[in-house]
Amino acid sequence: MRLPRVFGKKRGHRRTGSQIWGTVGDAAFHAALLLAGIVFGGLLVSGVAVPEWRINHDYLPARCTVVGKRIERRVADRLPGAWHAALLLRYETDGTVREAWAWPEPAAGAGDRDQAVRRLAAWPLGDEVPGWYDPAAPGTVVLQRGYNWWMWLLALLLPGALIAFGGAGLLRAARRWGKSEEHRAASAGLPELLDPLAQRPRASQGHPTVPCCDDLVNSPGTILRYRLPIESPENWTLLGFGLFALLWNAVLTVLAVQAGIDLLGGRRDWLLFALLLPFAIVGIAGIAVFIRGIILASAVGTTQVEIADHPLRPGGSYGLMLAQAGSGEFRELSLSLELEERATFRQGTDTRSERVVVWRQPIRVWQDVELSPGTRFEAHATVRVPPTAMHSFASEHNSVRWMLVVHGTPTRWPAFQRVFPLVVFPPAAEAAEVMR
Amino acid sequence: MTRSPDGRPSPVVSLQFDRVDRRYEPGAPLTARYRVEGLGDEPIEAVEHSVLWYTEGKGEEDLGVHFFARVEGEAARPGDGTITFHTRLPASPLSYEGVIVKVRWCARVRIFFRAARDFVSEHVFEVGRLPPARLVTAEAP
Repeated sequence: MRLPRVFGKKRGHRRTGSQIWGTVGDAAFHAALLLAGIVFGGLLVSGVAVPEWRINHDYLPARCTVVGKRIERRVADRLPGAWHAALLLRYETDGTVREAWAWPEPAAGAGDRDQAVRRLAAWPLGDEVPGWYDPAAPGTVVLQRGYNWWMWLLALLLPGALIAFGGAGLLRAARRWGKSEEHRAASAGLPELLDPLAQRPRASQGHPTVPCCDDLVNSPGTILRYRLPIESPENWTLLGFGLFALLWNAVLTVLAVQAGIDLLGGRRDWLLFALLLPFAIVGIAGIAVFIRGIILASAVGTTQVEIADHPLRPGGSYGLMLAQAGSGEFRELSLSLELEERATFRQGTDTRSERVVVWRQPIRVWQDVELSPGTRFEAHATVRVPPTAMHSFASEHNSVRWMLVVHGTPTRWPAFQRVFPLVVFPPAAEAAEVMR
Repeated sequence: MTRSPDGRPSPVVSLQFDRVDRRYEPGAPLTARYRVEGLGDEPIEAVEHSVLWYTEGKGEEDLGVHFFARVEGEAARPGDGTITFHTRLPASPLSYEGVIVKVRWCARVRIFFRAARDFVSEHVFEVGRLPPARLVTAEAP
């Protein structure tokens, strides 16, 4: 019997890995996660959840007398709260008098020894305190009942996530095992549930791989039928800059406050001061870039594009309305129809995307546009989709996208580009026959 | 009978579409018949035939199966040696020859041998009549 090959077929310049070995590796990884989840969950359940549940349900009440006390230091003695009070209790179970140590505040320890000794005074010798003992082991007594919800949450969340992730991966690998890629792709089932990280685009009804255009036709226009939503990756970049500036300067503030306290206390931490200077420069630069981005985004004014119908069909002509708000003068404002191909691929451990505009049709250009506050520039145009145009296409890693692109060149601000995605359907069956 | 470099029989799949030019309109019916030759005595576990599209180009390969059938056991070796299947093609995607994204349609026949190996034969056809895309910068309005 032969072992499967490590490398499979070669397509172009790329050699694909062995499907069998890939599935084996995937299954082993997820099985390890599942096992870790089960072991971790088992430890938490047996070590925390079950004892706590038994204390609240099985333990019997008893009147306990404090006959001795002491303070204890836990193993992690360098941590705060390491000192704990312990009481020697005398109580009666089934006619037998017993003595056992118990901890009145098991979760809350004192920071230092003196504090723990002061706390210990709250339980005078000879005092009676309510307690609960274990009927299965009467030598075990506790002074507190209730649930530690954090521990339960931890017990459920961490192992639960490991079990869910590992189990789904293992099930996915089992589903793949021995099946061809066609068989897997054709199998009905729960692929989305088993592979939640895969981003499968939503397709239009009756048109597989043509992206759904529900989000493009849910906003009515003021003059034409639909107002197209703007695709604004620069807004996400701006948000990213804002978050970076916020987080960086928060860290900087904490460090600066610490340095200030040190300075007031007469201590000078030169290393901290040396670190603060470059940190402050980066922080100020982050704020400056963010503010500049906000000014650029808001100074030009909003751009709006409305269209007479949507989705588009090859060979069809559609009325457009371009509206540009703001103030000032534009050297040029133009509207064009573009077709872009986008491919996502893995290069080593990175996932990269590449975009190429493969077709561009200028629709209209306006020169020397003067904008005044309170009114907006409005102009009409017609876009014609070529009769042999490829329809919009979107699969997991590849897409072909149609879009209207507005290029603007203000006199006082940098040039900008705003993108309005469109969906082009394939030609209707009768139109396809005519084109033959 | 042809043989692979390791000495095992390498089958030959002869597949014929009902359109000689292998060009179909979206939504059109498609009929294909194929014959597998050169199987030798090696036992077959199953034969799968499917109609699918896949992407080629710069990105990772995506694949969508439109029609799939699996024939197991002795039925995988029909008496007259010919297997026919029919399907109606979907409205999309159309075959597309882009710059970094290409969409291709094909019929695939995959033969699973008992000896834990499989053999794939792929037969490309076209859906629609789109001209290839080029890296064009501008066209007159």
